[in-house]
Amino acid sequence: MADALVEFDSVVKKFGDFTAVERMNFTIDEGEFVAIMGPSGCGKTTTLRMLAGLEQPSKGEVRMQGRVMNAVPAHERDTPLVWQSLALFPFLNARENVEFGLQMRGVDAATRRKKALDWLDRLEIGEFAERDISSLSGGQKQRVALARSLVTEPKILLLDEPLSALDANLVIRMQSMLTRLQRELGITFVYVTHSQSEAFAMADRVVIMSRGRIAQIGTPKDIYRAPDNRFVAEFVGRNNIISGKIKSSSGKSVLINGSLGDFKVSLGGRAKPSPGSEGSFVIAADLVRLSSKKPRAGNQIECSLISEEFIGSVVTLFLEARDGSEFKVQIQERELADMDLKHMGKVFVSWDPERAHYIGAD
Amino acid sequence: MKPDRLLKWFLYGYLGLVFVFIFSPILFSIIFSFNSDRFPTIPLGGFTLKWYETIWQDPDVWEAARTSLLVSFSVATIATFLGFTTAYTDYRYRFKLKPLYLALILLPPTIPLIIMALAMLAWFAKIGLSGQVFSIIIAHTVLTAPFAMAIIRLRLSQMDESLEAAAWNLGANQWRALRRVIIPFCRPAIISSFCLTAAVSFDEFAIAWFISGLNKTIPVVILEIVTGNIDPQVNAIGSFVFLTSMTLVIIAQVVLMTKNKTEKEKHG
Amino acid sequence: MPVSGKRTQSALVETTPKRLLSHLLTFKNAVRLPIIIWQALFFIAPLMFMVAMSFFIVRNYRMTEAFEMKNWLKMMGRDYFWDSYGLTIGLATLATLVVMTVAFPAAYTLAFKVSENTRRWAVFLLIIPFFTSYLVRIFSWYVILAESGVINAMLGYIGLGPYIMLNTKFGTIVGYMTLTLPLVIILQTLSLANIDRSLVEAAHNLGCRPWRTVFRIVLPLARTGLIIAAVFCFILSFGDFVSPYYLGGSKPPTLPILIVDTVKSGQQWPRAAVVAVVMMVTLFIVAFGGIAAAYRRRVR
Repeated sequence: MADALVEFDSVVKKFGDFTAVERMNFTIDEGEFVAIMGPSGCGKTTTLRMLAGLEQPSKGEVRMQGRVMNAVPAHERDTPLVWQSLALFPFLNARENVEFGLQMRGVDAATRRKKALDWLDRLEIGEFAERDISSLSGGQKQRVALARSLVTEPKILLLDEPLSALDANLVIRMQSMLTRLQRELGITFVYVTHSQSEAFAMADRVVIMSRGRIAQIGTPKDIYRAPDNRFVAEFVGRNNIISGKIKSSSGKSVLINGSLGDFKVSLGGRAKPSPGSEGSFVIAADLVRLSSKKPRAGNQIECSLISEEFIGSVVTLFLEARDGSEFKVQIQERELADMDLKHMGKVFVSWDPERAHYIGAD
Repeated sequence: MKPDRLLKWFLYGYLGLVFVFIFSPILFSIIFSFNSDRFPTIPLGGFTLKWYETIWQDPDVWEAARTSLLVSFSVATIATFLGFTTAYTDYRYRFKLKPLYLALILLPPTIPLIIMALAMLAWFAKIGLSGQVFSIIIAHTVLTAPFAMAIIRLRLSQMDESLEAAAWNLGANQWRALRRVIIPFCRPAIISSFCLTAAVSFDEFAIAWFISGLNKTIPVVILEIVTGNIDPQVNAIGSFVFLTSMTLVIIAQVVLMTKNKTEKEKHG
Repeated sequence: MPVSGKRTQSALVETTPKRLLSHLLTFKNAVRLPIIIWQALFFIAPLMFMVAMSFFIVRNYRMTEAFEMKNWLKMMGRDYFWDSYGLTIGLATLATLVVMTVAFPAAYTLAFKVSENTRRWAVFLLIIPFFTSYLVRIFSWYVILAESGVINAMLGYIGLGPYIMLNTKFGTIVGYMTLTLPLVIILQTLSLANIDRSLVEAAHNLGCRPWRTVFRIVLPLARTGLIIAAVFCFILSFGDFVSPYYLGGSKPPTLPILIVDTVKSGQQWPRAAVVAVVMMVTLFIVAFGGIAAAYRRRVR
């Protein structure tokens, strides 16, 4: 791609015998908001640190604007990072913290001061410029950290779980501030998080990592509705995964035989698997119909209710199928009220073949 | 409940007695320094300042005080520098033989002073540095650097690990990050370490006595007076030394405590 | 901690001295080397030289570098050396037992019976003696313990004494206690305060009597810290020359007094070095044994 800002080319990172990142290939475009997401220890922070020059790839190349960055030390890069702990200097006040990067670049005192104050104003904390860091609230510190990173007008901003220490209300506000800021500045944001809601709310593209490998790259919608594999399907939450043997395939769909019966699944552009091989599919909890009577035909499973979980107006029902496997269904609370679940011994879940998503053997 | 309370008060009483034992020589030495009797006992003799006058007029004491101040100031500077570099190395780097590296700095206080004194005496004679002021400085630095290292290392362990990396990330090379971030963060510990190492050096007599030659420090003067006969001058000098050391210790303590306190309050 | 500073060194094309120098003068070495050089020159070298010196010979009041067993044979063959050795070990052991016993109830009180704030202040107070002149404190004891000193004067009021306390083992032990008691209380308090309280409460809860709790629960849990305190107490007492000299009367001399006398009375440094090496070996064995005991796994 012509305007790729960052390229990871077969990057491997080892710490002793432990491989943190394994043959990673991907590019980040200019002006893109990319979220790197995965469970702890998946290598997402290591990836970010390699971008910042705080770690060096054991193999492969990291390039920025075509230039190989492997041997460029951290302080010679312009890749400011917003730290999980914020890492604000406790012995400097807010303004001095923001000035730090400019001072390291040899900017004169007056310009430094002006730029720092401008940025603090822009992030609506101008009045706290001369305050000690320790006297600021969590959200204010967050903004100082952002100002400190942005004051040098970088092409890219790295963020390492910056919102993880804030409470839920503040997180939402900071999220909208970050997206607005990114759009206004037009620079690239690379945002590492383990929180699906943060990644999906802000990012143009999401990179899902697992054990040092990229599990999937795509838009939030792709990842949510069309997970590439079992790991992604499980990681993004309310998905039911059913495995079995391919019985037959016809046209754009396959018939999978599992322990709960036969299920028809559309392939959605995937290569046709050969009959007799293993295969799995995903059916999202919110794409399932629930009924007390047995549907006449189609994909269906007979279940009994185990428990329910209310989050706002959405209810998640945890069901158990004949073979003991768990099945999750998400429906609106008001739909549930119409059904008298407590007194139903059995329920049936059913779905259309197009709703299910085939994910192959793994 | 009854025997429990009894035990508690017995233990408090016992603790009090232990503190009396520990502090009575210090208190008596201060009291005796104002006592007119050459050989003080109970009941106390009259109040006097003559012992202070004696040492005030003694050029040897003045000379020794000058040497002591020079020595302890230099020792504090070098020991704090070495303690800082070692603490920082331990904080930041992992390398083979690191236990050995740490043993190298932490071991000296476990070796009896008299052995260190003999070893230093012989070694300085061998390399032609015997009897110099800076031989005392060198020896005391070896002795006190471990304390400096411990104090500064403790401070570093309270530091957010990403603080230094944040400085690099913002364009500071390693030297500037050290100067602009690590040292300011460690400042209270550096001041404390400076005061404490100065105080230890100011009191040390065994090594100083062996290697000082003509450049006596205050404790060496005390040792020589004590060896001669009973002379309450010692109490006067001792009280002076006590005052100096305590000032340094209290400064160190206050700097450390207020720093921790303000940080705690603000974080909380 | 991940390290960013190291640069990937491209293969050394030529190893000119200049290149080698810049290779050595990295940031890492700049912070790591000073102490290595300093301690090698002024800590390791003196000790090594002292060991070597124990094989030197003295001829016509001049020390000559040599490698002879003469000093060792001479010292090892003398009864007074072994008397001193036995006395020093005996006194240091006695002091360790006394100090550990005297300190324990005080440390126990500080660890379990007072508020955390009081404990902090107590520990601060206990640090103060380290910064007062040990010599002056011993001199003070000398006056207090003397035949017509403070203690005997007070005892005289109730018709007791006078007791002779100076130039006795009692005097020496008082001196050793002056040196070591504050440190031992601090170390004991810290190791006791680190015990998980719930274990002690569980023992009480299970009906274990207070005394039994101390011996069966508290002491074993605090073992490591207590042994380290004892080792420090032994090392300090073993190496101190001031107490046995001024309060104990120095007859017979302890090993540290032997070193002082030998050095101060002439050029017999090699013999003093023999004594010092013997002391070091002894302390090494005690410290090693103590640490092994402290970290030995619990055997039922």
